[in-house]
Amino acid sequence: MDLKFLVVDDSVTMRRIVINSLKNLGYENYVEAADGQEALAKLNADSEINFIITDWNMPNLSGLEFTKQVRGNPDSANIPILMVTTRGIKEDIVEALQAKVSNYVVKPFTPQILKEKIEQILENV
Amino acid sequence: MRELSTNMSSIFDKLNDLKNLFKFGEKIVPIIQSLIEFMKEIVPLLETINSSISDTANKMPQAANQISNVTNATELATTEILDIVDKITNIVVEVESRAKKALEDRERRARLYAKLRETVQGNGDALETIDELEAADAPTKDLEKTIAQLGEVKDNTHQITLSLQVQDITAQQLAAANHLIQSVHERLATLIADIDHSEIKDDIRSLDIDVPEGVDFDPKASYNKDASRQGEVDRILNQQNENKASQEEIDKLFS
Repeated sequence: MDLKFLVVDDSVTMRRIVINSLKNLGYENYVEAADGQEALAKLNADSEINFIITDWNMPNLSGLEFTKQVRGNPDSANIPILMVTTRGIKEDIVEALQAKVSNYVVKPFTPQILKEKIEQILENV
Repeated sequence: MRELSTNMSSIFDKLNDLKNLFKFGEKIVPIIQSLIEFMKEIVPLLETINSSISDTANKMPQAANQISNVTNATELATTEILDIVDKITNIVVEVESRAKKALEDRERRARLYAKLRETVQGNGDALETIDELEAADAPTKDLEKTIAQLGEVKDNTHQITLSLQVQDITAQQLAAANHLIQSVHERLATLIADIDHSEIKDDIRSLDIDVPEGVDFDPKASYNKDASRQGEVDRILNQQNENKASQEEIDKLFS
């Protein structure tokens, strides 16, 4: 399966780190967005995007709201979403699950964790 | 006559009340005097408190700006580090590729030497020359070690990249601190506005905290590399996935 990632994070540093990690895992095809709003625009404009990695805390449109909107749109409802965030308390995780994220990673993450989560998600697609 | 008597009685009652009032006045006057003394002492103290609140409120925007500057500086520095790390990684990848190619060439040459030895079997001089040629390849004997070391450098540069996640996490902590300062500043400004001191009010109004709009952050963000944190997340994920039907349990978390 050819994967095209949409990496969403308001931190330039984090976007670069996620993208570097993806490249190390052999995934070279990606687009990036600085918040949920920009991510929605990119998602609507690019039908090849088939995997989303998003932060939670972002201006304009948070990762959680972005996830809800992606899930609410029949065209994008089935795209896997991996939430990568600093938020690690139980209530947050449950809230993210209720918004239908596919999996959840807490920052700081390791490439191994990222790899495992992507593979787990792809196994269930 | 009876009417006059009633009126006189009423006048005496009033005079009596007046007398009691003067007596009460005699008692209350020292208290009022003490109160005036107290006010004389407390007013300068209140002025000092006002001035102190004003000073504190005035310094808050500066503190908030300094925090914002720290975030910008660390982001800039992190980007520079990432650029350098990327350059190092690219060089390492290039050198590693050349080293691997050299290793393949050496292996090919070793196969050719073996073939050559078979061809010149019995010719002592030729065999000696082949041995000399093979010995000249000695510097390439450490290629495997070099490739392994380059791999280590690559892993380490990648580790540096990952450790730079600290920038995002501290930026969120600083944003939370800035938000707190902004809230305290707003409350102090309201408090000072309530005190009729137009000079201070104007000072406070002119010093707005410049916080970017729509900033969202996790106030509990922490740089914790302990693997048990992700383990806890996975445990909750598994628990929730196993109990998908149990919406009640999820609801309980929010009740």
